[in-house]
Amino acid sequence: MSNKKSTFIGEHLIIAGASLFILLGLLYLSSLFMEDFSTDSITIFGTEFLIADIQPHIIQILFIVVSVLVSYLIYLLLSLRTRAELTAAIATRSLSNSLAHFEKLYEEAPVPYVILNEKGEIIKPNKATLRFFGVVLEEIEGKNLFSLCFEEDQEKAEKLFRYYKSNLPINSEEIRLITKKGAVKWVLLSVFGETSFNNLKKARLGVIFDITERKQLDQAKTEFVSLASHQLRTPVSTIRWYTDMLLSNSFGELSGEQKEYVETIHKVNQGMIELIDTLLNVSRIEMGSLKIDLKPTNVSDLVESVLVELSSQIEEKNINIEKNYGGNLENIESDPKLLRIVIQNLISNAVKYTQPNGTVSITLKDSFKEKAIVVTDTGVGIPEKDQEKIFTKLFRAGNVDVLSSSQGTGLGLYLVKSIMETMGGSISFVSEENKGSTFTITI
Amino acid sequence: MEEEQNKKKVLVVDDDDNLRRVLTDKLKASGFEVINASNGEEGLEKALAHHPDIILLDVMMPIMNGQVMLSKLREDEWGEKAKVIMLSVIEDSEVIAQAVVDRSLAYFIKTDQSMDDIVKRVKAMLED
Repeated sequence: MSNKKSTFIGEHLIIAGASLFILLGLLYLSSLFMEDFSTDSITIFGTEFLIADIQPHIIQILFIVVSVLVSYLIYLLLSLRTRAELTAAIATRSLSNSLAHFEKLYEEAPVPYVILNEKGEIIKPNKATLRFFGVVLEEIEGKNLFSLCFEEDQEKAEKLFRYYKSNLPINSEEIRLITKKGAVKWVLLSVFGETSFNNLKKARLGVIFDITERKQLDQAKTEFVSLASHQLRTPVSTIRWYTDMLLSNSFGELSGEQKEYVETIHKVNQGMIELIDTLLNVSRIEMGSLKIDLKPTNVSDLVESVLVELSSQIEEKNINIEKNYGGNLENIESDPKLLRIVIQNLISNAVKYTQPNGTVSITLKDSFKEKAIVVTDTGVGIPEKDQEKIFTKLFRAGNVDVLSSSQGTGLGLYLVKSIMETMGGSISFVSEENKGSTFTITI
Repeated sequence: MEEEQNKKKVLVVDDDDNLRRVLTDKLKASGFEVINASNGEEGLEKALAHHPDIILLDVMMPIMNGQVMLSKLREDEWGEKAKVIMLSVIEDSEVIAQAVVDRSLAYFIKTDQSMDDIVKRVKAMLED
C-alpha cells in the first residue's frame, strides 16, 4: 500500500517538476525575447515604464506567479489523491453499512432463507429457517436441503435436486419438508440463480414459504365435503327405496295423483343422489385421491347405457339423437367408470340445454391419430363472454334460465375437465349462442 | 311346510332402522326368509346361529362395523364360505379393497341400487 503511495507521490512530483521546468524555460525564453526589444520603454495606461527598470521586477513577479501556480498544481494533485482516498473510504463505509443493513434484513426476515452451495448444502440459514426446522445452526449447516423432505415426497425432492444441479431455477414448487421433531410441513420452495457469496462463486439463494396452514384448511374443507356427502347417502337411499316400494305397488296400487307425487319425490331424490356423487368426485379430485382404474373399455357401450339412462328426458323433449360412430372405440385402455361420468355429463348437458325437437349428435372418432368423442347439440349455446369460465367450479352461463327445465350445480364441466386431465386426455368446445355447442373429448 | 323350507335365508345387517325395514319388506315380498341385525356383533352371532344363504352387510355400524364382522366371520369354518354382499355408502378404495381381500361377493353403493336391483343381485348370487 505504501509502495503505491510513494509511487503516486513520486509520479506527481515528477509531473510538477517537469511543469515547473517547462514554465521557467518559457519565461526565460520570453525574457530573452524581451531583451532583444529595441524599444527601451513600454506605455501602459498612459504611463511610461523603462524596460530596464521593469525587467528584474517582471522576472520576480513571474517567479512568484509561477510558484503560486505550481504550488496550487501540487496541492491539487496531492489533494486529488486524498480526495480519491476519502471518496473510496466513504464509498466503502456506505457499502459496509448497506451490507450490514442487508445482512440484518436477511437474518431477521420472517420467511426462511437459505444460501446453498454447489452441492445443495445449507451454508447460511437465516433465523427463520432455524425456527422453521426447530434446530440450531450446527444442526443444519452442511445438510443438503433436498434431503430434508418428507419421505413420501422423496421422488419430487430428487427431481428438484436434479433441476438444482443443472442450474435451473426452482419456482414455488410445492413439497413437504420434515422438521427436527418430525413434523411434516407443506412449503413452496424457490431457488434462484447463481450468485457469489463470500468465497463461494456458485452459491444460490433459497426461499422456504410455509403453506402448511393453508393446506390443512383446504384438506379440512375437502374432508368435510366428503364426510357430509357420505352421510347424506343414508337418508337419500332411504327415500329412494321407500318410493321404489310405493311405486311398485307393494302396498296396494297408487291412485293417479298419489303416483305422480311419489314419482316426483323419487325423481327429485335421484337429482340429489347425482349431486352427492358429483360432490364426492370433486372432493376426491381435490384431495388427489381419484384413482384411475385402467381397463379395456368399450366406449359405444358406455354411450348406449348413458342414452338409456337419459331416455325419459330425451323422449319428453322429443330430442333427435344422431349417432355417427366412425369407429366403435371398442377395447381402448381407459377407466370406464370415470369415462362414463364424462360422457353422461356431456350428453345430459346437451339434452338439457336443447329445446324440444332439437338434435343431439354423438360422434365417435377412432383413428390411429385421434380417438375422440364429440357431442354436438342445437341448443342455446354458451354466450361468448361466459366461455372462458365454463370449466370453472360452480359456474353456470348467463343464459341457463332460457330453458326452464334446466337445473345444474355448476360442477359438471369442472368435474369433466378434471377427470379428462387426470386420465391424460383433454376437452375442448365450440359454441355459439342460440345455435348450439360442440364438446370434444380426446382420450 | 315345504315351501317354508325351500325359502332361501337372507341376513340383513344394517344399523339404520328404516333401511333395515324396507330391505326386509322387499326381500320377504320377493320370497325370501329374512333375519335382521342392527350391528356387526349381533350380525356375527345371528350368522353363526342361523347359517343364512346370503348376508347383506352394511359397513358403517356401531359396536362392530361391517369390515370387522366380515373378517371375524371368515375365521369360522362355516363363515369362511358364507356368501356376503357389502352394501354401503362409503366409497373409499381401501374399504373396498379390504372387502375384496375378505372375499365378499360384491360391494354396492346403496344410492346406486334400486330395490329391484338388490333383489336381482341377491338372486343372481344365490344361483351359483
